[in-house]
Amino acid sequence: MRKPSAQTADALPMLPPMAGWIVSAPAETPDAAAFRSGAALAHLGLAAQAAEVPQALWRDRLALAAAEVCAGLAGRREDARALRDAVHLTRPGDDPGPAGRLLRQWSRAVAGPISVAALTRALESVTPEQVALCLDAGGPTPVDRAAWVIEAVLTDSPRLQTAALVLADAVLAKSLGRDHVLPLISLAVKPRDLRLRGDDLWLACHRAVVLGAGQALPLAGELARAAARLRAAMPQLRAKAAARAMDQFLNRDALAPGALDFMSDRAARRLCDRLVALGALRELTGRATFRLYGL
Amino acid sequence: MTVKKAGTETILDRELADLAPDLRWREWLRRVEAVLFASRSPVARETLARVVGQGASVDLLIGDLAAELEGRPYEVARVGAGWMLRTRPAYAPAIRVAADAGGPALDLSEFDLAVLAAIAFHQPIGRDGLKDIFGREISRDLIGRLAERDLIGGGPREPRRGAPHTFVTTDTFLAAFGLESLHDLPDPEQLADAGLAKPD
Repeated sequence: MRKPSAQTADALPMLPPMAGWIVSAPAETPDAAAFRSGAALAHLGLAAQAAEVPQALWRDRLALAAAEVCAGLAGRREDARALRDAVHLTRPGDDPGPAGRLLRQWSRAVAGPISVAALTRALESVTPEQVALCLDAGGPTPVDRAAWVIEAVLTDSPRLQTAALVLADAVLAKSLGRDHVLPLISLAVKPRDLRLRGDDLWLACHRAVVLGAGQALPLAGELARAAARLRAAMPQLRAKAAARAMDQFLNRDALAPGALDFMSDRAARRLCDRLVALGALRELTGRATFRLYGL
Repeated sequence: MTVKKAGTETILDRELADLAPDLRWREWLRRVEAVLFASRSPVARETLARVVGQGASVDLLIGDLAAELEGRPYEVARVGAGWMLRTRPAYAPAIRVAADAGGPALDLSEFDLAVLAAIAFHQPIGRDGLKDIFGREISRDLIGRLAERDLIGGGPREPRRGAPHTFVTTDTFLAAFGLESLHDLPDPEQLADAGLAKPD
């Protein structure tokens, strides 16, 4: 009965952190970079398997970070908040604008299992043949394949940076035996990295994997703890649809109360406010109106 | 609306199962060309996919069509996420001499175009944002003129009282100015270096 209130800080899930030698970056040889990226991927794969990590939410939040990087690559100044606003404040039938489209591409790409059809739909600008070719990329290691995909897409069409990165992370995730796209390389890629080719690009990808995994892992831990707090708050809620709402919050980076369309607008707002008061949810915009909520 | 759509689709024989493969491909090719010819705005892949067989690759069809139009005065151009037929730039003078033949008739004033350019560079942007740029109120008429020509569309709402509309450019805008994507817009930094714009 009283279990939820006994939830203390030490009962919250903790993921094992990445070993220091993996993330600390001295001047390095290609061998060292490849060795460290392999270690980072192996560690991330094991640590993030923990049942407490809300996988869909984790991917969606990483997609936001990746979209922010892609916006920067495209010379846009929108930050994560602006991207979120663009997507969540666009009404059906309207166009989220160039920056909003970036985030929408990423969120769609990470939402469903990796498949040619799903990625073609998500990316809009590539053909099914291109996607199939990228997903079938061959190479001795997953990072080799991802580097090959970036090179192949950008050599063909230098402007499709977002598509190149989505597909690179898709092939990386697929080679690691994951069902869904996990943004990793995209989190840490630099504008000049994408102009590299061959061995230089390969090295840049290995570095980006280490940095990306270094960002993704703490986020997974943070979200696992936030999810535990949200679940612990559940017994204190009386709203009928609270379980469904919680499910939505465990799947999406952010939601406007209006998006909880199975309950009335007023009920949704009250539920969100109550969860914020319980410390189980955050209001993400800092605004008094047009609020967005998330873990 | 959906009922009507479903109705027309049942009438159109997409698969053409009774034709020999090469004839079938030709017919699909002609359909794609006809649809592009008839449309004023760029046609998306999904739309084209609706007039050809289930397994047919629109991209291959477009490729074949482009090859076929080699040597014709018009070409298949990729615009945004779709394609359209347009005359090759080399024939622009001839078309212009013939006057109202083409008459793209955007028929916009210099100020209209300035506002359109501001929207293109700063999208999504609302009327308030435009007011900040131009130092005066942008009339609803002007916005209406741009929207009527399908150069701009509605973007995300601004998170402020009244949830004002913002505006974004459309694929028709890209087509009208011969851009393939927004990346083809002149780089703001380049404009500043050329003395055409103030760096901000």
